[in-house]
Amino acid sequence: MTRKQKKRLSDALLSLLALCLGLAIIFPVLYGILGAFKSEAEFAAYPPTLFPQSFGYTENFETVWRQVPVLRFFFNSFVVALLGTGVRLVFAILAAYAFVFFEFKGKRFLFFLILGTMMLPADTLLITNYQTVAQLGLMDSYLGMAITSFVGASQMFMLRQNFKSAPLALKEAAHLDGCGDLHFMLSILLPISKPVLVTLFVQGFVTMWNAYLWPLLVTNQNDMRTIQVGITMLTTLEDTNYHVVLAGVAISLIPAFILFFFLRRNITRAMAAGALVG
Amino acid sequence: MKRKLTALMLTLVMILSLCACTASAENTKITFWHSMSDNAGVLMESYIQQFNATVGKEKGIEVELVFQGSYADATTKMNSMLNTNQTDTLPDVMQLDATGKVSYHASGVAYTIDQARADDAAFDTGVGALLNAAMGNWNFAGTQLGLPFATSTTILFYNKTLLDSVNMQAPETFADIISLAAALPKTTEAGTELIPYAAIPNTPTLANWLGQLDSYVVNHKNGSEASATELACIDNGALATFLTEWKRMYDEGALKNTAASSDAFVTGQLALYTSSSSNVTSLLNKINGGFEMGVAFYPKVNEEASFGASVSGSCLVMFDKQDDAKKAAARELLLYLTSAPIQADFAVGTGYIPANENAVNEAVYQQLLQEYPQYKVGMEQLAVTPAAMRSVTVGPSTDFYYAIQNCVSDMLEYGDDAETTVDIMADELGGLLYQYAQANQ
Amino acid sequence: MHIRAAAQGNPRRKPLRQRLKPYLFLLPILLFAIGFVYYPFFKTFLYSFSRVNFKGEITGFVGLENFRYLFSRRDFGIALKNTLQLTLLNVPITLAITIFLALLATNRRRGSAIYETMFTLPMAVSMSAAALIFKVLLNPTVGYINHLFQLNIGWYEDRNTALYGILMLTVWMGIGFDFLLFLSAFRSVPRHLMEAALIDGAGAGNRFLRIQLPLISPTILYVACTNMVLAMMTSGPIIILTQGGPSRATTTLIYMMYSSGYSSSNYSLAACVSLITFALTLLFTIGAFTLEGKKVHYQ
Repeated sequence: MTRKQKKRLSDALLSLLALCLGLAIIFPVLYGILGAFKSEAEFAAYPPTLFPQSFGYTENFETVWRQVPVLRFFFNSFVVALLGTGVRLVFAILAAYAFVFFEFKGKRFLFFLILGTMMLPADTLLITNYQTVAQLGLMDSYLGMAITSFVGASQMFMLRQNFKSAPLALKEAAHLDGCGDLHFMLSILLPISKPVLVTLFVQGFVTMWNAYLWPLLVTNQNDMRTIQVGITMLTTLEDTNYHVVLAGVAISLIPAFILFFFLRRNITRAMAAGALVG
Repeated sequence: MKRKLTALMLTLVMILSLCACTASAENTKITFWHSMSDNAGVLMESYIQQFNATVGKEKGIEVELVFQGSYADATTKMNSMLNTNQTDTLPDVMQLDATGKVSYHASGVAYTIDQARADDAAFDTGVGALLNAAMGNWNFAGTQLGLPFATSTTILFYNKTLLDSVNMQAPETFADIISLAAALPKTTEAGTELIPYAAIPNTPTLANWLGQLDSYVVNHKNGSEASATELACIDNGALATFLTEWKRMYDEGALKNTAASSDAFVTGQLALYTSSSSNVTSLLNKINGGFEMGVAFYPKVNEEASFGASVSGSCLVMFDKQDDAKKAAARELLLYLTSAPIQADFAVGTGYIPANENAVNEAVYQQLLQEYPQYKVGMEQLAVTPAAMRSVTVGPSTDFYYAIQNCVSDMLEYGDDAETTVDIMADELGGLLYQYAQANQ
Repeated sequence: MHIRAAAQGNPRRKPLRQRLKPYLFLLPILLFAIGFVYYPFFKTFLYSFSRVNFKGEITGFVGLENFRYLFSRRDFGIALKNTLQLTLLNVPITLAITIFLALLATNRRRGSAIYETMFTLPMAVSMSAAALIFKVLLNPTVGYINHLFQLNIGWYEDRNTALYGILMLTVWMGIGFDFLLFLSAFRSVPRHLMEAALIDGAGAGNRFLRIQLPLISPTILYVACTNMVLAMMTSGPIIILTQGGPSRATTTLIYMMYSSGYSSSNYSLAACVSLITFALTLLFTIGAFTLEGKKVHYQ
């Protein structure tokens, strides 16, 4: 066997291994989607099956559609994730910029003050934040759902790392050209940091999209629920209406998957640029 | 002339639009939070649609229905709104289970049934047709908080085909369950483990079993008369009796210490299943003819105990939004949802016990009983249940619920004796009540 | 850093406007950091030493009484143990899995687009969707996993396995993004270094330990830290799947905070739990950043 053949064989084997592992990883998703097409009786039958008797069985989806305003849920999730991620990123950019390109009194203290928020995760402050939001009259509002995620210390940290690696000469050249800070940021720094910005945006968006506990607490109206909260409302702990729940899950996955396949190319490109860590 | 005509037209348009405005403003809009999911949720939606299209249309009432998740979720939500004084965001009508009674009663914005009866003679008459046993559960410290909507009790479901195959009857006592377990095969036909009975006691089930022994779990009649401050089942020995019998079932291999699972029951892996009478319909659907399902009274702790289980489910309560029109609208909605036709229809669709005396006479319900006698057991059990039995209301409800489960599980799995467990429970459950009482004097 | 500072010149000589500028840039994030992180933290701190009624009003100062009561509760010790167990298992398992997958995928081959997509797919599945799927998948009777592997495991219904069921879910949820991070880290390892090592006759293991691992160490630190914090905060899957049970087997600190504090109106207890969770997380993070100085290699 020549070296080339050997390499081809090992590549093929590795690909095969990777595909098998990939299948194992996506198995729960496949299972969930397949289950959405099963009837209540199919679920109760023993032994359990993987495939539904018929993909034409859509009653579960109709039940979900009847029980909850699915489209509205999606819209809410989208607005909240966009608002939260967008504002957070802007704040983080401003802060990271200040820490990299300015010298000022209390820099170290303020840096750790912001970084310190990472150690006080929102989950531990749930109750008191809830009280604040309620007092501000922000219950059942998009702002109320997004407001606790405006502080992105880790985003700030990553951007700082990234800005630090930006050639200092660029900033000096910009300065000599009489370029202001905002101008330098918008026209030079951010464009060259686009990969990391995209990555952070996608990461933030995914996190916000997936948020569960906070949106659950600050919404009362059905119409303001996010999709994550909405689908769990199809069941309770004792309920066993798996068929309906999985249909809800399957519906909830549709836009996430579209978004995923669309953004994954962006994010891989961003990663390929080696932008993330360094 | 032309200008005059234009002016006239404009005036007309203005008057018309004004009329349209006032016409829509006349409609009283009220919000209704409910917790019915699945099949019951669909029914609830249809009732509200019916209401808006009939009574509502006639009286200018429009009900907005909001699903708030499980009862616990809805109560949590209500509590947090009360805590932050967000009372204007509370609904006009809410479906509440026992966990919400204390905070509703203490909320300061409750519009109780007693007040409503005093305000409205027609409402007073309508309420008179509701079953006493069902009403009693929603009475707190002498005040009628709400009207029963979804009424259920806990009963025993059994795999009749399986029991017939070993010539056994439905068990009446824990001891019967032990003898049944001895007679049953160890595995199912499919080769999986056959479990005779599975359950983990929690707040409502403990209230049932202690209630059968003529004892309450906590003082003030299980917290139904005043906020509970201590346990009421230690000194009278009721808890010890229950734990001893429960442990015996486990030690004899008749009981598995896991939450009762309807999946295991409907797939034939569990012989006995205790659950809410409201599950008759869904269980029949899931079994789908796989075996014959029998229904019997909730098992008794021992021969001396009386049959019965406390009423559970939920009631409809109203909030005082300082608006008489809304109050009147809320009363109409409550009357409608507890009326005989709706209660009968809801019972047929779900298996809940109708709370309205007259519902039993509705044709749909009679027909159901003839076809499926399984539905009758819940009502019959309700009739023999001791009148003093109450479901438990405590402040730290979630912690209390799980503390019971955990203490009993520990006893079984770590092999502690009943006396030790009584001490542990007295300490742990008592501690929860004490802490809550201290913080909320 | 110090070169940068020198390049900026002495800040004192700058006009006021210039001197205020950095603070202006920091104002938005600081405002919200104070309002929604430090203020609630301070309030939590107050609560932990106070008697608080079910409306959240402070009715008295009780010193360390709340902590004493918390430590006397059996479920606290269990919640602590469960949380630490989840965290200490989650972080290394996720690291091992995602580093392995990333190594496997570093070199592009036929089919790589397909399996890369598969590896990243979990990131498109929300926590609640994933939890609901796992609820069915791991159901002991109707679920498929027990049947597929001929197991008789109770998963979320058995106190001995429930926590591992939660662990499986949380690890699975983390695979997608962490894989992507490592993939990009591996791919940004300069090719000439790897080729030089190959020429020197270094085996795959050697190349991994000597070249790749040091170069991706910042990513490892980042992933380990974020996963650690996430694992310490595990609560959503527990609310959806087990409610802390069976027999407290899946009660975590944050879940305890939610159930005792929020659902049972014991705010002072919740505040104590919250503070302890905070302290532990801080401790771990400090540990990780101490490592940063010693082991992490920045390019």
